[in-house]
Amino acid sequence: MFKFQTNGFSGYAVRYSPFYDNKIAVATSANYGLVGNGRLYVLSIMDDGNIITDISYDTQDGLFGVAWSETNENHVLTSSGDGCVSLFDTTLKDYPVMKFTEHQREVFSVDWSNIDKNLFCSASWDGSVKVWSPGSNRNTSLLTLRSLASREEKTGRIEKPIPVVQPSQVPMSKTRPNIRNDNNDCVYDAKFSFHDPNIIMSCNSDSHLQLWDTRLPNPLFMDFVAHNGLEALSCDFNRYRPFVVASAGVDKLAKVWDTRMIQPNVHSRPPRALNKFMGHEFAIRKLAWSPHGPTQLLTCSYDMTVRVWNDSPSPTSRVGLLDGASQPHAPPCSKIFSAHTEFVMGCDWSLWGEPGWVVTTGWDEMVYVWNTQRLQ
Amino acid sequence: MERLSQLRKHLAGDDPVERLTAKNSDDVVIVAAFRTAVTKGGKGKFKDVNSDVLLQKLIEGLFEQKLPPGFDKSLIEEVTVGNVLNPGAGANEHRAAMLAAGIPSSVPFLAINRQCSSGLMAVNDVANKILVGQIACGLAAGVESMSSNYGPSAMPKVSKSVLKHPEGAKCMIPMGITNENINSKFGISRTAQDEFASNSYQKAEKAVREGQFREEIIPIQVEVEDEDDENDDDDAPAKTKTITVDQDEGPRPNVTVESLGKLRPAFKKDGSTHAGNASQVSDGAAVVLLMRRNMAQDLNLPILGKYIACTTVGVPPEIMGVGPAYAIPAVLKLVDLPKEKVTVYEINEAFAGQALYCINKVGLDKNKVNPNGGAIALGHPLGCTGARQVSTIMRELKPGEIGVTSMCIGTGMGAAAVFARE
Repeated sequence: MFKFQTNGFSGYAVRYSPFYDNKIAVATSANYGLVGNGRLYVLSIMDDGNIITDISYDTQDGLFGVAWSETNENHVLTSSGDGCVSLFDTTLKDYPVMKFTEHQREVFSVDWSNIDKNLFCSASWDGSVKVWSPGSNRNTSLLTLRSLASREEKTGRIEKPIPVVQPSQVPMSKTRPNIRNDNNDCVYDAKFSFHDPNIIMSCNSDSHLQLWDTRLPNPLFMDFVAHNGLEALSCDFNRYRPFVVASAGVDKLAKVWDTRMIQPNVHSRPPRALNKFMGHEFAIRKLAWSPHGPTQLLTCSYDMTVRVWNDSPSPTSRVGLLDGASQPHAPPCSKIFSAHTEFVMGCDWSLWGEPGWVVTTGWDEMVYVWNTQRLQ
Repeated sequence: MERLSQLRKHLAGDDPVERLTAKNSDDVVIVAAFRTAVTKGGKGKFKDVNSDVLLQKLIEGLFEQKLPPGFDKSLIEEVTVGNVLNPGAGANEHRAAMLAAGIPSSVPFLAINRQCSSGLMAVNDVANKILVGQIACGLAAGVESMSSNYGPSAMPKVSKSVLKHPEGAKCMIPMGITNENINSKFGISRTAQDEFASNSYQKAEKAVREGQFREEIIPIQVEVEDEDDENDDDDAPAKTKTITVDQDEGPRPNVTVESLGKLRPAFKKDGSTHAGNASQVSDGAAVVLLMRRNMAQDLNLPILGKYIACTTVGVPPEIMGVGPAYAIPAVLKLVDLPKEKVTVYEINEAFAGQALYCINKVGLDKNKVNPNGGAIALGHPLGCTGARQVSTIMRELKPGEIGVTSMCIGTGMGAAAVFARE
């Protein structure tokens, strides 16, 4: 295990470089990201195990998301609390080479497409996912996906409002139900598919997991409550199984979904997950499928642990799992990493070398590089 | 500090109350829960009408007074009515009552009887059908006219060969004796019971005085025989008059431990159960309209509360009153909720002895149990009680709070259910 301290800055997101086996970008924020500056670290793991800073950039607001460019080995994207997405060139000091400033609120994640390498997407608390094309030197977005508006358009709920019953006629309850809370559609995470350049997945504070096809007039083609009404914080596409995705959230569960089995009917019960992993004691902040195989899933959580799960394809693990009261089968958690002493906010797998290397970061101002295979 | 409050929500999932009160589109929600007044069996204002009349008038009142005009009754996909004493649990007369109340014949009907929990079982039946997707909306009710149907005809008929088995024979033990068994087995004193009972009377009397039940009671009009009828000719039909019933008859002022102390034991010479510390014989009805949350939202119906879970357990028949002591922990375990997180417990007071035993055994805070009195003061119309508790607890809870209703069940069972107020 190798470590690096991000003194005074709490880690929020971390990514391995897709070009170098020893480079890591870490997005951090002062004061736990609640208020104040941010800092982007670009780190190198040396042969002796030391981790050194190649370069770092101070930013106006806290940084929450980070992604490497898939076209230029020196380009790193960050997203920050002031709604700004910035592209840094690590050969140039101090300032980003491009800024994308359309989002109205915190941008919590950015992801670079693996297929159409000119594109990246950003997920923001303003309720939107935006798609950008920095390669064409264009700093306005190509497309905006609005989670709430699209859902309303799809279900037609807002367009034909039913007359509101006067409270005097129905003295039963003073509160109106607020599932459709306009202020509750912060998008936490958005990812490009590894299999289709037009597909984007996002998850939001309204517990919804949403899939978008950017070719459609209304791109939202799948939308369901994934985490029992509690906030859905992270999602990821499986690299080996084109229709399999995972999501995690405040219900402490990581769930594996087969998107072919999701029914479009909005009035039906929420769909059943293919598999679900129970074990984290607090909300799961981030998850990532392994790049080395179809089954391993990495999760990091507010419970200060990082866990590695095995999504066993055994048929017995796939039946009889009712949501709610009944307990699922024993958790197939193979490894628990507990070196962090605060919330673990970001994690990523290394694409390189011996499979199993991961990097994690959290509010304890630590970056740990460790191997899931060697964990006791 | 919007950012802080947003991030704070990530840790919210750890609070069981927040977990259980989370609003999901497929929740089973209560959009209406109402009851009639509960009147005294044999001499109260409902003494001349049968349970079907109570049910019909209550459902009519629900549609006319409480639901928005034009509520489409054909949206209801099941009517389940709990009842104990009517032959066949009222399968015929309550189907007739529901049709007479204006629910179309295309809506099916189910009569249900699990003794004193029948009203709750009706709620559970409808809720489960919504949960599994069989229906989206159902009406659950409980109704009992002990004036009309309590008596020798309600005695169970169990065959001799079954009664030969000692366990089978235990189901014939009168309820009062099962309570005496609890009192002697677990050492519950007469004073403790009388104190509990007088407390129930005082709470109920205060609640009636303060109008605590006004919101949940739908006043209904019934015809009663005119007591001023001076015509002694038995052949002539009795004169009747129409009265409006909107007030519980059970609670009475000035009940104290001392006044109860004067009453003689009812079941055993040396016993401690008497008319003042046992539930009253009563008439009454209660209805609960349940539907899936997204339907309630589409119809813009205000949501009163959320059904969370229900469990039934079995206990030895000779001490059937211990039911809640096992059912409450079972349902709390089912939803993984510590007992301290529950704001109100509505536990049916079949007898002061069994209720006290259950409260102590589970370790409940007495101040959280039956804040507006229980069946000792309010009455216990058997099949109605389970549904009556739902309408009562919905008014006792504040939005965001969780409540548990529970009761013991003759022949040895206990039921408990968890609800959230919204």
